Amino acid sequence: MDDVPGDLPEAAARRFSEGAFTSGLTVPDFAACLQMGLEPAGYVQGFCVMKWGSWQFYPGAGPYGGYGPNVAGTHGGYSESWQCPHGFVSAEHRVWGQNYEQPWVEDAWANGFTSAYERLIEEASALGAHGIVGLVDTSAPLGDLGVLEFRVQGTAVKVKDGPPPADGRPWTTYLAGQRLAKLIEAGYMPVSIAATVASVRVWASCITAYLTEGTNPGWTSQAVGAEIEQTARAQMAVRRIARERVRAQLGGDSLHGASMGTRERELGEGDADLECILRGNRVRRFKEFDPMPAPRPTVRLS
Amino acid sequence: MTDTPQDLPEGASKRLAELEHGLFTSDLSVNEFLLIKEVGFHPLGFVMGSSIYHTGIQTRKWGQSQELTKLTEAMYNARELAMTRMEEEAAELGADGVVGVRLDVNYYEWGKDAAEFIAVGTAVKAENGVSYRNKLGKPFTSDLSGQDFWTLMQTGHIPQGLVMGTCVYHIAHRGIGQTLGSAGQNVELPNFTQALYEARELAMTRMQDEANQLDASGIVGVRLEEKSHQWGSHTIEFLSLGTAVVKTSGEVTLPAPTTIISLDN
Repeated sequence: MDDVPGDLPEAAARRFSEGAFTSGLTVPDFAACLQMGLEPAGYVQGFCVMKWGSWQFYPGAGPYGGYGPNVAGTHGGYSESWQCPHGFVSAEHRVWGQNYEQPWVEDAWANGFTSAYERLIEEASALGAHGIVGLVDTSAPLGDLGVLEFRVQGTAVKVKDGPPPADGRPWTTYLAGQRLAKLIEAGYMPVSIAATVASVRVWASCITAYLTEGTNPGWTSQAVGAEIEQTARAQMAVRRIARERVRAQLGGDSLHGASMGTRERELGEGDADLECILRGNRVRRFKEFDPMPAPRPTVRLS
Repeated sequence: MTDTPQDLPEGASKRLAELEHGLFTSDLSVNEFLLIKEVGFHPLGFVMGSSIYHTGIQTRKWGQSQELTKLTEAMYNARELAMTRMEEEAAELGADGVVGVRLDVNYYEWGKDAAEFIAVGTAVKAENGVSYRNKLGKPFTSDLSGQDFWTLMQTGHIPQGLVMGTCVYHIAHRGIGQTLGSAGQNVELPNFTQALYEARELAMTRMQDEANQLDASGIVGVRLEEKSHQWGSHTIEFLSLGTAVVKTSGEVTLPAPTTIISLDN
């Protein structure tokens, strides 16, 4: 315990300098790690509290900041608009609709997540760990403060009788226990986790709004049973952006056990905020697949 | 029935006396019972301890994040009392340890600012007569299930005690100036990050101090729980819990698991 990094809390430094290891692993996961030759070094964690608004004055976004309709070229890679086909109907009629990516939400998420993750890595490095297993990342609003806390926690492990970690940066994985053992059995080693968020805002056009409501004002040619093109394209775009971003993080490695979750916050008829979180384990092949013994078939008699 | 501790209720002594004549109560499932027998332990009885504690209130500074040491102490002492009473019940039965310990906090209508802390578990004793009590001569406690207990024993570790650490922390309110200052921006609030970080690390360090008192080689199954109880959203208790273990033989006797595939469905 020679070099405690500067920005860890004092209590963390004290915790690491003491004898007993702590591990967040369940007993079966603990047993599986020992069998793989991994010894828990300590429970490690990182946090970041962010002020969380749904919008932001985005640098270079023009007089209206990042809020409201698109100012050309400021809304990330994805932007599409829909023109009203009806001509003048009324002052309230939505003459156009737009989907666009919200990089200020994505950047803020990436900032919060990365800060928490880097603190976790710092804790693990202070322990001289080779890797971190059983990683869990969550984010939750804190009280009524309008702030969001990012939390990344896991168990740092050392390879038994192994040389000190080469480049000093521990590998990370969401897996632990037998699931990690099976991955290694299959010839892959964990490199790091990969996680990203994509965010798309939908400003509904008149047709999107009518179709979402399920009403047909009569003078439009649009059938009520039609696909809502604008919403469908936003849903596809938000997933595509998340996938592309994670692919860019992989650098030639494979993604294992990916999970994708999307959330939609409805803001009005057809108006919505879409968010897609994609997580997975970046893994690298280190040996040829060596077929394991065939599993024993079982039948339950109860 | 040599040393009846003074502070157990009368009903407890009677129940425990009956248990000594062979009858046992336990909340173990049949599978857990079989596994505990497999590693050479026998359940003696269901044991519990409870403590009703007036946790009181502590003045907090509106705009400052700080630990509320009085509340931290209260929450810690109350749990410790409940655990100690449970250990006394187990010692009364001549147990080597208690498995499946659960710690609960209950609030009742009749006691504002008072809470009941309960610890329950199943006392077990080794069948080969070897004492598995911990360094302090007390029965070990652990929140491990029967399955976990079996697995842990196969890895050459034995439980020493359920260890915990707690920290009650007050999170500052943000002033109007601060709120306006960062309005519309998604930025880190380092003060908040640090306060919560510190609180969790304190809870974990205290847990580790307990483990060191038991000369444990490690703590498995660490959980970090966060609860506001009845204090409002700005006061949070960070509680870390785990089972301190000590390495014995150093050998992992657990065989490599057999892969199976279910043909049921």
